[in-house]
Parts: sequence; structure tokens; C-alpha cells
Amino acid sequence: MTSTQAPLTGAIAARIDNGAKIYGEGDTEVRALDGVSAQFESGRFTAIMGPSGSGKSTLLHCVAGLDVLSNGKVFIGDIELGSLNDKDLTLLRREKVGFVFQAFNLIPTLTARENVLLPLLIAGDDHDEQWFEQVVGILGIDDRLSHRPSELSGGQQQRVAAARALVSRPAIVFADEPSGNLDSKSAAELLDFMRRAVKEFGQTIVMVTHDPVAASYADRVVFLEDGKIVDELLDPTPDSVLDRMRQFGA
Amino acid sequence: MIRTALKTVFAHKLRLALTALSVMIGVAFIAGTFIFTDTIDQTFNDLFDDLFEGQDVIVQGETEFDVGFSGPPPMDADVLDAVLAVPGVEAAEGSVGGMAIIYDLEGEAIVPTGPPTIGGSMTEDLRLAGNVDLRDGRTPEGSSEVAIDARTAEDNNIAVGDVVKVQTPTEVAEYEVTAIIGFGESDNLAGATFAGFELATAQRLFELEGQYSSIVVIGEEGTNPDLLRSSIATVLPEGVEAVTAADESAAQSEALSESLGFLQTALLVFALVAVFVASFIIQNTFRIIVRQRQKELALMRAVGATGGQVVWMVVIEAIVVGLVASVLGIAFGFVIAQGLTSVMAAIGFDLPSTTAPLATRTIIVGVAVGLGVTVAAAVLPAVRASRIPPVAALQDVDVRLRMSDRRRTIIGSVVLVAGVALILNGLFGDILDLGPLNELTAIGVGALMVFLAVSMLSSLIVKPFARFLGWPLPSVDNLTGTLAVENSVRKPRRTATTASALMIGLALVAFFFILGDSIKASAGAAIEEGLRADYVVSVTGFSGGFSPALGEELAASDEFDAVTSLRFGFWDRDGSDEFLMGIDTETVDRTIFLGVTQGSVAALGEGGVMVHEDTMSDAGWVLGDTVPMGFATSGLQQVPIVGEYTENGIVSANFLVGLDFYEENFEGFGTDVDFVLAAKAADGVALEDSRAAIEAAAVDYPNVEVRDQAEYRQSQEDQVNQLLVMFNALLILAVIIAVFGIANTLALSIFERTREIGLLRAVGMSRRQTKRMIRWEAIIVAIIGAALGIVVGLFFGIVVTAAMGAQGIDVLSIPSVQIFGLIIFGAVAGLLAAMLPARRAAKLNILEAIAYE
Repeated sequence: MTSTQAPLTGAIAARIDNGAKIYGEGDTEVRALDGVSAQFESGRFTAIMGPSGSGKSTLLHCVAGLDVLSNGKVFIGDIELGSLNDKDLTLLRREKVGFVFQAFNLIPTLTARENVLLPLLIAGDDHDEQWFEQVVGILGIDDRLSHRPSELSGGQQQRVAAARALVSRPAIVFADEPSGNLDSKSAAELLDFMRRAVKEFGQTIVMVTHDPVAASYADRVVFLEDGKIVDELLDPTPDSVLDRMRQFGA
Repeated sequence: MIRTALKTVFAHKLRLALTALSVMIGVAFIAGTFIFTDTIDQTFNDLFDDLFEGQDVIVQGETEFDVGFSGPPPMDADVLDAVLAVPGVEAAEGSVGGMAIIYDLEGEAIVPTGPPTIGGSMTEDLRLAGNVDLRDGRTPEGSSEVAIDARTAEDNNIAVGDVVKVQTPTEVAEYEVTAIIGFGESDNLAGATFAGFELATAQRLFELEGQYSSIVVIGEEGTNPDLLRSSIATVLPEGVEAVTAADESAAQSEALSESLGFLQTALLVFALVAVFVASFIIQNTFRIIVRQRQKELALMRAVGATGGQVVWMVVIEAIVVGLVASVLGIAFGFVIAQGLTSVMAAIGFDLPSTTAPLATRTIIVGVAVGLGVTVAAAVLPAVRASRIPPVAALQDVDVRLRMSDRRRTIIGSVVLVAGVALILNGLFGDILDLGPLNELTAIGVGALMVFLAVSMLSSLIVKPFARFLGWPLPSVDNLTGTLAVENSVRKPRRTATTASALMIGLALVAFFFILGDSIKASAGAAIEEGLRADYVVSVTGFSGGFSPALGEELAASDEFDAVTSLRFGFWDRDGSDEFLMGIDTETVDRTIFLGVTQGSVAALGEGGVMVHEDTMSDAGWVLGDTVPMGFATSGLQQVPIVGEYTENGIVSANFLVGLDFYEENFEGFGTDVDFVLAAKAADGVALEDSRAAIEAAAVDYPNVEVRDQAEYRQSQEDQVNQLLVMFNALLILAVIIAVFGIANTLALSIFERTREIGLLRAVGMSRRQTKRMIRWEAIIVAIIGAALGIVVGLFFGIVVTAAMGAQGIDVLSIPSVQIFGLIIFGAVAGLLAAMLPARRAAKLNILEAIAYE
């Protein structure tokens, strides 16, 4: 792996140990995650794939501190999330985590600039203007900053969301189908930027997707089925991912 | 269709509850008012039924003009002989009555606030005494014995054999208590104190020697009261009539109820204000509901529901909400009735409390109003819902169903202008002939129109206004402040309607503040300019008056240069009650400045009437014209106008007569006593000496209050303040409904913004920050409401004050501190309203929120 500004090679940005997420009881029990262990290395772009209901979104939510495991442990850096109360969890998300969702990523009443700076505004922190300009410049939204989300295209909205995820220099960025609602051109632009953020700035990104093309932008693909990790693929291509995916239905 | 609608209602119980709550409070206020006044009516009905128990016919003076609280004029005592001679009469006795204040054993006057202090003669024949019964002792005899009611005796530890003072129009004297009397089951007459004397004594004390107020008759066994009445009527002289006891009981009870009718009307007005406020909340709620269910309703259309069916779905929901709210409201009315009794007691009206009956009328009006208002408020949103195109089910489009801003501006402006015109026309004159609408109704309708128009128009200014209000917020509270401001202006109409609900209550509060302050300022100015006397003596509480003996004693003392007595009286002016003051024309020049512009006070001493200049010009009278004045005692009199005056601030009447004229035309309860005394100390007498002298004289009259100019002014201000407290207490319900409205709208808005709040929480907004964001939003909305209320209240206050010059309110005074306080009050109200919604928003599960569609 070659990364220009990666932090300590092999450092772990986040990990999940024997994580289980169980809904319901008895006959109605559903194991969304069933003993998942995985590590997400710093400075790498990991994609999580799997068919619908495989638990990939649950995995993302649990590792990101949006949801709580029934069993097992999640670490972001050295911090074990299970030991945190809501306030500390909120602070952790604000300071260490960035998010890009599939849709509804932006606050409609705030301008693009304010949306990008949202986590810093919430924290009341000053931002690094140079870094901000670099991020919005690369994402090509520097001329849309005073607009409201309703005045932006879908692709622009997702790029604003990506900028927001990066601007606070979080330890890890979680993306949940970030290109799911975009046309292929906008999707390619967004994913390309995400890959650049990893390569050029050493950003750590974990992305859930069901699109083999999107997954091919990652350094590594983790395959999930029935709440378990069943496989992984390094340096994927759309074809290699698609091949692996075909085995699920079989 | 109905089943679908009902399912929707019950699927959203919280929404149902919050919406119903606002209607419920309004209905409860209406029902409470009815229950409250029905209770009073019931009490008086029972009271009079008991009082006339066993009596058949009442003979009394006939009056052409039944004005104020004046009883019938007295008759000559020899009428009794004629009555006794009528065949079929078993027994008959004459009686007299008047004011009598009993003192307790420590010498303090026993004056209930509200009910009167009654004195009267006791019948010798107990069969004639109605339900009066001797609980202890024997009927008083001679000139120094008295019977008192059981409640007064019990409350003040007075027993048979004790000696008490009693004040009558003639004197304050000591009497031995020989009897404790009850009235059937009751210990007193609906709270009144009663002192009974032997007939001859009573006639002397009430200055009715050789006269009777009434004659009570019972017929022989088996006599028909109606026939007996007819045969008695044939022997009566002119000016005396006979009525059956049953009719008289009903008439008296009705007269008392009527005199309390103003109370019912006033309370209903406040109740309607509450309902009006509630209608804003309902409309807003249904509008939001329709918007939130846009997709669902469009789907109904897509699968074949007609527009009419969609209207029905929304209306059925409104019917359910309205019905539930009305029924609960009527039940809650009993609590409100209890509250009203407490409010009245707090301001000094001790009302008797018996069982509160639930009349059919209460149920019908309660349900009609609750259901009617809810459905009416939901109709517009329902019709809009039916215009949702089926395609909205498939596309993620925000269908614009609102009125365009331009239309809104035009309609709002027209309504505003029409409302203002109605108010001004009602206040200032007769530019328009409104036909059946009387002035007060016109003003009321005008006020409603102004409120509606301001609500419509305010949605246009909500944006800049909220941004202006919120301008300092981001510096106080960076992001949450910005978000709160922006959230408050997202749906300007929603914010405007929510704020308007608060506006109504606070506008009326501001209006009363201004009117009250203006009355205080005017009274202060009137006292400063018009009161030449050093002291004002007036009655405490509602005891009507005090013996003229006090004024005579003061006039005779060396410390005083002039003592003017003022007496209050009602008369009939073209069919409606008007009042006048009888004044001592010999001394008034030295005690009260009247600003006589035509004629003279001296001329008034010879008879005739002096009229305030505004009343003169309104009626088109000139000096020398005659005014037809109807008096209960003396009938219709053509009274010449002998003078015109400008200052009515102290005498507080627009018609003045001399005391001789007064005595000729008034007789009976409350008219043979002084209402107010204005006393001027003699030259060279030190202030403390005159004060000591007047206090010493007043010792025998514990029901009077002696005040110097400053104290008098203070007492006038206190009275106004008391009224302000009462009005504001009655407006509290309207404000509470508005607070619920803010809470409801916020809760619904938060529901709409679930994903947004989820996102904010996901990217690191803490629960505390989330709460702050909601609170700031509520505060902004509430302050907009308060500010709008102040603007409307200022308008009402200024025009009403300007229109009340003739009532002696000629100074406009705006209490800026209290008015500004309303802004702070609004902010606090907003904070309260935000409590639950903020908590709810903070507790949103982030995952569900971001997954929420």
C-alpha cells in the first residue's frame, strides 16, 4: 500500500471484537450481527459489501457509535465505545468521526459553507481556513458555498457532505451508500475524491455499499452475509467484486 | 372512509390530545361560566322561594321606573286597614326595610363584601314571616332590641342578651340582642347580614314613620292567592299594587339574576376569546397534519378516493377531536366554575356556593362551540387536502397549497381596514348606521377582524422579524441560535399562526394595562385638579352607604370649613339606567372643583339638574332645556337644565342634582345614606388636628374609610389594579391555550424534522444543544407573538382611551415597564412551551431519525 501522508503504518483507526447485534427474543430473534470481528486500518479505504439484510449498515452504525452492540466491543482509536455515555459518545462523534449518508445529509436552513463547517460550529471550534479551502477546492464546491442545499444538485450536495466529513480531520469517516442516489458521473466524481482523500491526506474511510463499482474505489472490501464476515478482497476491481458477489445468491 | 379516518385519529393519540386540549380549555371556560352563573341563579331562586314561603299576596308601592336597585316606593300605613277589611284575608302586617350594619362585640362593623347589610321590621305574627324562624330568644320589642341572623351571631360570637351597636340611616345606637333568627335551613340570606326590629322602631330608624315598604298578606284556609290578589287590588289607592307572593318571588329572583347578567356576559366574552385562540391552534394543527399526510392522502386519491372523500377524512378527524374535547371541556367546566368562585372571592365578592347544576343549555352550547369551532377551523385545511394531486403520492414534491402572498396581502389588508373601521365607528360615532349591531358588538367584531388580519399579514413579516429578533442569538449561542432563527422562518405561515394565538391574549393584556394606567392617570389628574377637600370619606366594601349623621357631625365641628355629602341614585333615561349624584350645593364650591361653564351651583340648589358638557353636546341640549327623568319613587319628572360643568373626575357622574331634589325623588334602600363625603379643614387648623377630628368622628362608623388626597388617589389606583388582576386572570386561559399551541406546533415541526435532528445528532450535536435549539425557536415565536400583541394592544388602548373622554378618562398613559414585561413574559411562555418538545427532540433515537422517511 502506498500512501503519501499515512500515519503510523498499520495503526488501527477502529475495530470491532466479536460484535453481535440481536433484535427481538426467542422465536422472533434476529441476529443482525453475529460475532463480527474486523479492523479498519488508518489511512485506508475499506468498503463493506453484502446483500440486503446482511448486516452491513448495522455494522457501520455500531462501529460509528450511532448504535450499540448487544455483545462484543467496538474501539475507535483506543476508546471502547461501550464505556461511553450519550454525552461522551456525542463528543466522540463530533471530534473523531465524520459521516456521509446516502440522502438527507445537509441541514436545509444552513448554507453549504455552514453545512461543511457543521461539526466545528456545533463544537464552537475555530476552523483551519486553509484546510477548509483546500477541501472545498478539491471537491469543486468553492463557488457554491453561499447556497442553500435546495439550490445544489444531488452530486453537489453529496460533495458538501463529504467536505463536512473531512473538514474536522476526523480519525475515521463512515459513509453509508454515499453514491447511492447519484448518477454515475456524479458518483464517480464523489468516489474519486474519497479515494484521493485517503491517498493524499491519509484519511481513513469505511464505506457501506452494494455497488461493485463503488466498492472498487476502496483498498479493501469486506463481505458480510447473515451478520458474519465471510470474505475479504484487497485492491478490488469492479469485476472481482462482482464475481465474489455472484457467489452469494448461489 | 370513516374507519380509515378513525384509525388515523387513534394512531396519533398525542396529536389528538394536544389539539383537543386547546379546544377543551375554551369549552371548559364557557361551561364553567354557565355552571358558575347557574349556581348563583339557583341560590337566589331558592332564597326567594324560602323568603316568601307561606305568604299569599304582597302589597307594595307601584313604580313606573324600575331602575338600579331601588325598591318600590313606600305607602301610607292606613292601606293596611283597607287590606285587613278584604274578605278572605286571614292576617296581614306592614313592614319596612333599609340599610342596617351590625357591629361586633369589639365595635367593628360586620360588612360582608358583596351581599348587602339589611335591616327590617319583624312581623308579630310568625305565620307572616316567610321561612324566618326564631332559633333562640324572642321577637324584639321596643326601641332598643334587635334580632340578628344566625350566621352573623355565630361568626361573631354574639348571643341572646349581648348588647351590640347597629348603624341605620338615622343613627348608630346600642341594642340588646333578643333573638337569633334563621331562614329555614339557611343561617342567613345568601350572605347578607340582617338586623330585625320591632315595626315602630324600624319605621323610625328607616325614616318611614307612618309608612310601610310592603304589606304581607295570608289568606284564609283554601283561598286562591290569585283571587285574593284581585279582591285586595280593588281596595288599594293609586300607586299601590298587589302581587301574589309567587310572582313577587320570581320577579325579585329574576331582577337579581339580571343584575348579575353582566357578569355572565363578561365571562362569556373572555371564554370566547379563549375559544378564538383555540381556533388558531386547531387550524394550524390540521394544516400541518394535512401537509404531513400529503403522500398518504395523494395515495388515497391515486387509488380512487374522490376529493370530497379526502375532505371528509380530515373533517371526521376534526369531529372526533371536537367531540372528545367538548365532553372533556364540559366536565372540566366544574373546575373552572370553582376557580371563578375563588377569583370572585379573591377580589371581594363572597358568593354563596351550593351544588352546581349542569343545565342542558350548558351541554348544548359547550358541544356546539367545541365541535363547531374545531370543524370550522379544519375545513380550510381539509379543502386544501382535497386539492393534493394523486401524482404527489409518487413524487417527492412539496405541493404548494397555500394562498399566494399577494392574495394574502390584499385580503389581510381589506379585513384589517374593515376591522379598524368597525372599531373606530363603534367608539367614535355614527358614520355608518350599523342597524341591529350595537356599538359593543361592532367593536368586538372589529377586534376579531383585526386579530385575523394581523395573523394573515404577519406571515409576510415573520421572516425579517424573526431574523431581527434572532440577530444577536448567533453570538450568544453560535450554531443552535442560527438554526433556531432559521427554523422559525421556514414556515412563515405556521409561525405566524402560532405567534398570533399568543398575540390575542397578550394584546388584550396590553390593552387592559394601557386602559388601566390611563384611568389611574386620569383619576390622579382629576384628584389633583378637582379635589379641594382635604379628606374623602367613603364606604368600604360594598355596603352601599353610611349614615348621614357622620356628615352632620363633621359639619358641626370647628375643625372643618365645609363638608359635602354625595348621594348616588339611578334613574331612567329613555328606557335605560343612568345614574346621578346628589350633592350638597352649599358647600361643593369649597370641596370639589366642578368647572361650571354655564348656570351655577347656586341655581342647582333651587332644583333642576346640572349636566356634564360632553353629555350636553351629545344630546344636543342647551341650558334651560328640560330632561325627562324617570324615578322609581316619584315617577317621570321634567327637570330643567340649570347648569353645565366640565369636571366629572371626582363626582364620577354626568348628572348632578341638589340634595333637596334628591330627597324628593329618591326613597328606599341605599338612597337615604351618604355615598361619599368630601371634607375641607377650616383655615388655620393643623393637618394632624383635622385628621384626628375626622378619625374620631368616624370611629362610630367602622364601615367608612377616611382618606386624605394622597390616600384617596392610592385607593382609586388600587381599585383599578384589582380589576386589572381580575381581567388578566381571566385572560390567563387564553394565554395557556396559546402556549399549548406553540408546544403542539413545535412538536409537529420536530416530527417533520426528525431526519434533520438525527443528522445534527449524528455529526455531534449534544442533547443539550438540541434542546437549546428548540427552546430558542420557541422563544423567537413567542416573542413575535408578544410583539404583535403589544402593537395591537397599543392600538386598542390608544383608541379606546381616546373614546372615553366623556367617562372622565382624558389622560393617555402607557405603562412602558409592564408593556415591556410582556416581551419577557412571552419569552418565558415560549420556554415553557418548548419544555416537552425539546425533551422529545433530544431523546430522538439517531438511527431511527436518519432512517426515517
